[in-house]
Amino acid sequence: MSIKLINKKDVKEIEFVENTTIETILKNEEIPVETVVIKQNGDTVTEDEIVNDNDEIEIIKVIYGG
Amino acid sequence: MTTNVCTQCGYEKVVIHRKYNGQRLCSSCFRKSIETKVLKTIKKQKLITKGDKVLVGLSGGKDSVALLKILNILKEKHIIELEAVTIDEGIKGYREEGVRIAKNVAKELNVKHHIISFNDKYNFTIDKIMQVEQKEEHPQHACTFCGVFRRQIFNQTAREVGATKLATGHNLDDESQSILMNYLEGNINNMVRIGYKTESRDERFTQKIKPLREIPEKEIGLYVLESGYEVHFDGCPYAHESFRMEIGDFLREATLKHPTIMYSTLNGFEKIKPAIKKDYIENQTGLPNKTCVKCGEPSSQDICKSCKFLENIQKKLENEESI
Repeated sequence: MSIKLINKKDVKEIEFVENTTIETILKNEEIPVETVVIKQNGDTVTEDEIVNDNDEIEIIKVIYGG
Repeated sequence: MTTNVCTQCGYEKVVIHRKYNGQRLCSSCFRKSIETKVLKTIKKQKLITKGDKVLVGLSGGKDSVALLKILNILKEKHIIELEAVTIDEGIKGYREEGVRIAKNVAKELNVKHHIISFNDKYNFTIDKIMQVEQKEEHPQHACTFCGVFRRQIFNQTAREVGATKLATGHNLDDESQSILMNYLEGNINNMVRIGYKTESRDERFTQKIKPLREIPEKEIGLYVLESGYEVHFDGCPYAHESFRMEIGDFLREATLKHPTIMYSTLNGFEKIKPAIKKDYIENQTGLPNKTCVKCGEPSSQDICKSCKFLENIQKKLENEESI
């Protein structure tokens, strides 16, 4: 199973196992969850949402930090 | 499994889980909660009174756009007059977008908008200053110049338009960072000045207010996105590794495990502030309210910081041209 992760111009396919949350995906990608808004297939969601096969996850950075 | 529905209305599409109070909110209830909270802060802290003319510092970023939109609620109810000022520091590839958005937002809300550029006012841009400054052995950061000149422009514009309040988009993250930074640096004089509003004894300074002070920065980002407002989220190209950034990262990281930490930093500080003021500040003589002999602006010394910087910059620019 895989999702498409869109982070500004950076777009990539990510493989995942069943019952993975967006939070886990962001942690693996080293994206600080406290600085972003997440869209799952166009809808704003919280990081504890489970990802599904072929989901499009968009990351919008709203806070600039280190 | 947790029921992921809005704790206010039961709608199943939740956009936020506020770990500091357990709320899960849908888009509509979330936006309403932000507006209610800001208006409540304004009322509770007496930031605005009926008839005030409020000038908003509008950069086109998320905080100032959210602030203008929320204050517009009070304008629509004929409680306040509202104007906005945007400062164009001359940062190529960054500021143009903010100015464009600010223009659009002001136009959409029918808010009188003033755009003031460093180039028109001082005959240089931040880009130009930094070009020269980079050649120095110990170059100053762009923020040092930017902050001083911006403050001067804000204050002058507020006076010129007859504003009774000057509103800025400082949020909970900004404020908890300032408190912690000043505490760690032992800068008690600066620390006690942090607040919902400024309390200058000099009438030439328009009172500054911070209506978004109790809203976490991430929630302001979410608020503008969920409201469909056009904003730019880009960071300033001159932003550098600063102590503020370190403290910001630390506080945000700590918030993950301790969700109330920014609120407790702010609330704890507000509780001890009167005691610090009483025991520490009132024993100080305080800075005299002088007037800058060069520009006539209020200053603690004969020549204000802005004029000192200007003189220094002009010299450097002249040297540059003569080479």
